[in-house]
Amino acid sequence: MQNQDGVQVDGEVESATSVATPEFDEWANFGDQDIMQQHSAIRAEEAEKIPFLGDKEPLSSLAAEYQSGSAILLEKIKVLGEQYAAIRRTRGDGNCFFRSFMFSYLEHILESQDQSEVDRIKANVEQCRKTLQSLGYADFTFEDFFALFLEQLDSVLQGNEASISHDELILRSRDQSVSDYVVMFFRFVTSGEIRKRAEFFEPFILGLTNATVEQFCKSSVEPMGEESDHVHITALSDVLGVPIRVVYLDRSSCDTGGVSVNHHDFVPVGSDLPNASGGSEKVSPFITLLYRPGHYDILYPK
Amino acid sequence: MQASRARLFKEYKEVQREKVADPDIQLVCDDSNIFKWTALIKGPSETPFEGGVFQLAFAVPEQYPLQPPQVRFLTKIFHPNVHFKTGEICLDILKNAWSPAWTLQSVCRAIIALMAHPEPDSPLNCDSGNLLRSGDLRGYYSMARMYTKLAAMPKKG
Repeated sequence: MQNQDGVQVDGEVESATSVATPEFDEWANFGDQDIMQQHSAIRAEEAEKIPFLGDKEPLSSLAAEYQSGSAILLEKIKVLGEQYAAIRRTRGDGNCFFRSFMFSYLEHILESQDQSEVDRIKANVEQCRKTLQSLGYADFTFEDFFALFLEQLDSVLQGNEASISHDELILRSRDQSVSDYVVMFFRFVTSGEIRKRAEFFEPFILGLTNATVEQFCKSSVEPMGEESDHVHITALSDVLGVPIRVVYLDRSSCDTGGVSVNHHDFVPVGSDLPNASGGSEKVSPFITLLYRPGHYDILYPK
Repeated sequence: MQASRARLFKEYKEVQREKVADPDIQLVCDDSNIFKWTALIKGPSETPFEGGVFQLAFAVPEQYPLQPPQVRFLTKIFHPNVHFKTGEICLDILKNAWSPAWTLQSVCRAIIALMAHPEPDSPLNCDSGNLLRSGDLRGYYSMARMYTKLAAMPKKG
């Protein structure tokens, strides 16, 4: 018998060559549909690792992720810990911003039972419906998504037959048939807002791609799984009139040596929020998202 | 499943209404299965497909409209973005650029637009793509025309 190392090396070379030949033959018959099937199989496999929406975890779980990583990030997480208590992760499937927003918003309504906020957003949703109609969208293409969002909104308000508990809200947010429909609702209203205010958004879109506003909406806003950028966040915040705080966790550091964690508040234009009256008072968003390059999760303040 | 069925039923009603508005597209739902549709589309004018009628087969997934329908040509067509044997179509909106804002009807319109504006740089039919990429418009036109006549026009007599 040869020594084991030798056998292993030989084995690898052999298997590599013997596998290659049949694959080449099959490529001719390997159509786009097979590729798409393979993609969805990979996605399904990944999906089992993390649900659409995770459990609430202490911030220490975030630090644990970087234990052997960047010192700057660990330092920043420590700073985050002064203001924030917990994190709730979302699946990195390109819909994480919209899904984080969905849960965060509905959870806020469930906990605050703020009827006036619900009335306010419903009026904005009706406005979105008119916007889409005037842009030429057929009602039947978006109405199911609108209906499902409004249904969730009603059910987080307590005291009626359809009312749901916090646990049920989590379950629904993990159920594709609810969760993806609500994400798609947000994609529709975001797209409508960008197209309606095309002149305003155009320069920002040109900074991201060289697509026209309409192409951008068709290729980067409306399709599921397309990641969100500041353009999407600005539009969604504006159209629904909901301020959003995004906390940035990246490797950037200050020259002075100390670290600070940056955040940006997306404050809706013409904001008529009660605490924005007069303009001097600071709007404090009730939705806080943690951004790490390429991904959004939900943050819970202390 | 229920959601896709309800949506398809709305599309069915819409198709009945749009019949007159869009005479180039005839979209028909299978009698017994609302997830199976066929369409007859007219080849666009000033293209080698003019005068031809092309049949498309739609298979709608249960996740529709979150996922796109699968569409292929049943009628043989010589086009860079259509597989010559299977009829499979290379069109972004049927893949990653799909969104529920599209409908079966607007997919047909997009396919007609693709017939008029082939994208030879992402070919499923390399022979056809290579003719266009090498600038042999005459070669492309005559091949495409021949197959239109052979496969997409009613036989005389």
